[in-house]
Amino acid sequence: MRAIELKKLSYTYSKKTPFEKRALDNVDLAIEEGEFVGLIGATGSGKSTLIQHLNGLVKVQEGEVVVAGMSASDKKSLKQLRFTVGMVFQYPEYQLFEETVARDVAFGPKNMKLEKDEIDRRVRRALEVVGLPYDEFAERSPFELSGGEKRRAAIAGVIAMEPKILVLDEPVAGLDPVGRREVLALVRKLHEEVSPTVIMVSHYMDDIAEMADRIVALKEGRVVADGSPQEVFGEREKLAQAGLALPSAARIADKLTERGIELPRTIVTPAALADALAEIKAKRAANEPAAQDGEREDGENV
Amino acid sequence: MPQIELNNASYSYRVGEGQTVRALRGVSFSVEKGEFVALTGMNGSGKSTLAKLLNGLFTPSAGDVLIEGINTRDEERTFDIRRKAGMVFQNPDNQMVATVIEDDVAFGPENVGIPREEIVERVDWALEAVGMSEFRKRSASKLSGGQKQRVAIAGVLAMKPDIIIFDESTSMLDPEGRAEIMEVAKKLNATGITVISITHNMDEAAQADRIIVLRKGRLVLDGTPKEVFASPEVEACGLALPPATELARMLTERGFAFSETVTDEDGLVEGICAQLN
Amino acid sequence: MFKDVAFGQYYPTGSVVHRMDPRMKLLLTIMFVVAIFFVNTYFGFMITAAVLLAIILIARLPMLSVLKSVRAIVFIVLFASLVNLFMIKGGEVLWSWKSLQITDQGVHTTIKMALRLVLLICGASLLTLTTTPVEVADGTESLIKPLKYIKVPVHDIAMIMSIALRFIPTLFEETNKIIAAQKARGASFDTGGLIARAKAMLPVLIPLFVNSFRRADELAFAMDARCYNATENRTKMKVMKLGAADYVGFLLIAAYFVAIMLDRYYFGGVMDSLIFGGLV
Repeated sequence: MRAIELKKLSYTYSKKTPFEKRALDNVDLAIEEGEFVGLIGATGSGKSTLIQHLNGLVKVQEGEVVVAGMSASDKKSLKQLRFTVGMVFQYPEYQLFEETVARDVAFGPKNMKLEKDEIDRRVRRALEVVGLPYDEFAERSPFELSGGEKRRAAIAGVIAMEPKILVLDEPVAGLDPVGRREVLALVRKLHEEVSPTVIMVSHYMDDIAEMADRIVALKEGRVVADGSPQEVFGEREKLAQAGLALPSAARIADKLTERGIELPRTIVTPAALADALAEIKAKRAANEPAAQDGEREDGENV
Repeated sequence: MPQIELNNASYSYRVGEGQTVRALRGVSFSVEKGEFVALTGMNGSGKSTLAKLLNGLFTPSAGDVLIEGINTRDEERTFDIRRKAGMVFQNPDNQMVATVIEDDVAFGPENVGIPREEIVERVDWALEAVGMSEFRKRSASKLSGGQKQRVAIAGVLAMKPDIIIFDESTSMLDPEGRAEIMEVAKKLNATGITVISITHNMDEAAQADRIIVLRKGRLVLDGTPKEVFASPEVEACGLALPPATELARMLTERGFAFSETVTDEDGLVEGICAQLN
Repeated sequence: MFKDVAFGQYYPTGSVVHRMDPRMKLLLTIMFVVAIFFVNTYFGFMITAAVLLAIILIARLPMLSVLKSVRAIVFIVLFASLVNLFMIKGGEVLWSWKSLQITDQGVHTTIKMALRLVLLICGASLLTLTTTPVEVADGTESLIKPLKYIKVPVHDIAMIMSIALRFIPTLFEETNKIIAAQKARGASFDTGGLIARAKAMLPVLIPLFVNSFRRADELAFAMDARCYNATENRTKMKVMKLGAADYVGFLLIAAYFVAIMLDRYYFGGVMDSLIFGGLV
C-alpha cells in the first residue's frame, strides 16, 4: 500500500520579497508502506520543507501531498494527518516541557482525545520501547535527564501517538558515540515494532547506507537520485554534483580501485567491503600457486 | 616550561542540597607549544569542564592549572590568560554578540582596548585567515553553521592567541561544516598556534597529534592516535573507533594482518595494498 | 503564526538614503515627527506627502513596502476616526440621529488626524526600511552618549540593545521550531477561548524559556572568554562620520520644518483657502 505520494510539489519561501527562495521544485515521490527511506541532501536542499509537508506543518502551495489516503490540503483531516505522521525534529529534547516524563509523553495521546486507560498504556509502551523503564523514569523531571535520555524521552513523546509513518530529522545530531549507537538501534526497533514506514533525514552517509532500503537525494529542491543505497551511492558523479559525500566504505573502495584493487561501485557498507576484500585475498592466494585452479573453479560456477 | 600545565587538577560543583558532582579528579598533563591535542570521552566524562579550566572560566577546586606559567587562580591575570587561550564554543548561535559579522570579530579586541586602527587591521586579518572576508558586512543569522563557527574562530584570532580551545565546536555542524572547521584548525596549528580540540568524533580525534581520553573525570589514556586506538580501553570509555580502524579490525577477523594500528583511510588503503599487491 | 511582524523591515536597495549616517537619520526622523504635529492645514499635509514621496523615490523603495507599515495601524486609525467624527462638535451640523451628531469641524479634524497618523507611520517606517536595526542601535547609542554624565549606564544599555537585536532572529526561529514540534504532536493554538489559548501556549513558552536561559548561560561564558568587561577601557572599531548626503538630508528636512512652521504661524491657513477655496 502507498504510504506517501507527492505530486509535482513546489514551494517558495518569502514569495514576492527580495528574500524569495524556491525550496521545492516539482517533486514527484511515492513511498510504499513498510519502506525505510533515507532522505539526503546538502543543507538548504529542501529536506526540511519536504518533511514538513507530510503532516501539514507547511501548507501546500503547488502540487499535491497524499498521506495514507489523506490530502494534506484538506483541513478537516489535518489532525488525523498529524497523528498518522510522527515527526521527530532535530534536537527534539528542546521541546520537552512537562513536569514529569510521563506527562510529557502523554501530551500527544491527550491531544488525540484518547481514553485515560489508553493514554496510560501508550505512555508505558512508548517509554519501554525507547528504553526508559516506566517505573524508573515516569515521575522524573525531563529536565534532569542526561542528554541521551532526554532525546529518547522526546522520541517517546512522538511514538506514544503510534504513528504509522515516522519521520526523523537528524536523530543522532550532537550525541556521543554511545548515544548514537543507542538511538540508531532504537530507530531500527521503531521501524520493526511501531511505525512500519520510516523516513530518516541524515548527513551521516554511513548510517544511511547501513539502515535505509531506499535513498532519496535532493539538490536545490529537486530529486536528483532515488533508489537502493547501492544504486544511489553508485552514481558517484551525480552525488558529487549534489554536494553529497560517500559512505566511508565506498570512499575507501574507490581509493583501493585507484590503487589497482578493482572493487565494484555497489559497496556501501563496511561489512560488504570487508567481505569483498576477503574474497579477493582468497582468490589471489589461490591464483598464485596455480592459475589453472582458479579458472576451473570459475568454469564450474557457470 | 610547557605552555599548558595541569597539576592534579580537580573540579567539583554542587547540585542542590549537599550533593556534589566531582567532574574532574586529579588530572595532570602538560602540552607544549604548537601541539594539536584532541581531548575526548563520552558525555559526562568531564571534558568540557576541563576545557573551561584552561582559560580560567572555572578555577580548579584543588590542584593548579598554569597557562604559560600563569596560574589561573591569579585573578589579576585572568584577562592575560584569556587573551592567550581563546575558546570556540559548541553552539554557533550562542557565542555571537553582534549582528554584523565584523562587529562580532571586533568584540574581543574592543574589550581589551586595542586602538581603533589596529582593530580594523586585526579584523581584516582574522576574517581572511578563516576565509570569511567577503561576508564581513553580512548578518550572522544568514550564515550556515560552519560559517558561523568560522566567524567565532575569527573572533578568537583577533585576540592574537597562542592557544585555541575548540569546545565541541563541530558537534552541531553538518559534515561539510565539520570539514571546514577542521581545515581551519589545522591551518592555524601549522602557524604555531596550539590547538586543543574537545570532541567525541573519532575521525577528528584521529587527525590530532595526540589524544587524551577522560573517563568519569579521570585521565585514562594519553598518547598518539595509533597508541590510543590500539588500546582495548577505548571502547570501555564509551568511545567508538574511527571507521577506518573499525574496518581494519573487520579485515583482521577475515585473515588480514596489519603491521601497525590503522587510524585513517589512507593508512588503511596502504595496509590493504601491501597485502594484496 | 509569526510571519506578519514585518513592520518596516529593512529593505536593502543600496541607495544614498540607506548609506546615510544613522545618527542623522534618527535626528531627522525626530524632527519630522515633531514637525508633523504642527501640521494643521491641508497644504501642510501636501508638503509632508511630497517630502515623503521624494525620499521614497530617492531611496528606491517600492510603494508597497511603505504601505505595508500603514496596514499595521489601519484599525487604530479607523477606530480613532470614528470616535473623533462623533465626539468633536463645532460649526455646521451635517448629520444627526438622536444624540449622535456629525459637524463640519468634526469631519475636518478627523481627516487631519487620520492623515497625520498615516504620514507619521510612513515617515517612521522610512527610517527602519532604510536603516538596519544594528545601525539604529549604534546611532541611538551615539546620540544618548551625553547622558552618561548624569549617570545613565549608556554602555550597558547599548550592549543590551545590541544583544537583543542579535538574538531576535534566533529566538524567532526557535519559537517557530517549537511551535512546529508541538503542532506535530497535535497541539492547536488557534481554538478555544482566551484562557484556553494562553494555556495552549505553555508547551511553547516553557521550552523557549528553558532554552533561553541555557543560551544566556552559554553567551555569558562566551563573552567572558573574550574578555568582556564593561569598563571605560573599551575601544570601538566603528566611528560614524557625516557625509555630503547627511548635510543635504538635513537641509531638506530643515526646509520642510521651516515651511510647516511658516504655514501654520505666518500664513495661518491662507494657502488652504487659496487652493481649496470654499471647501475648507
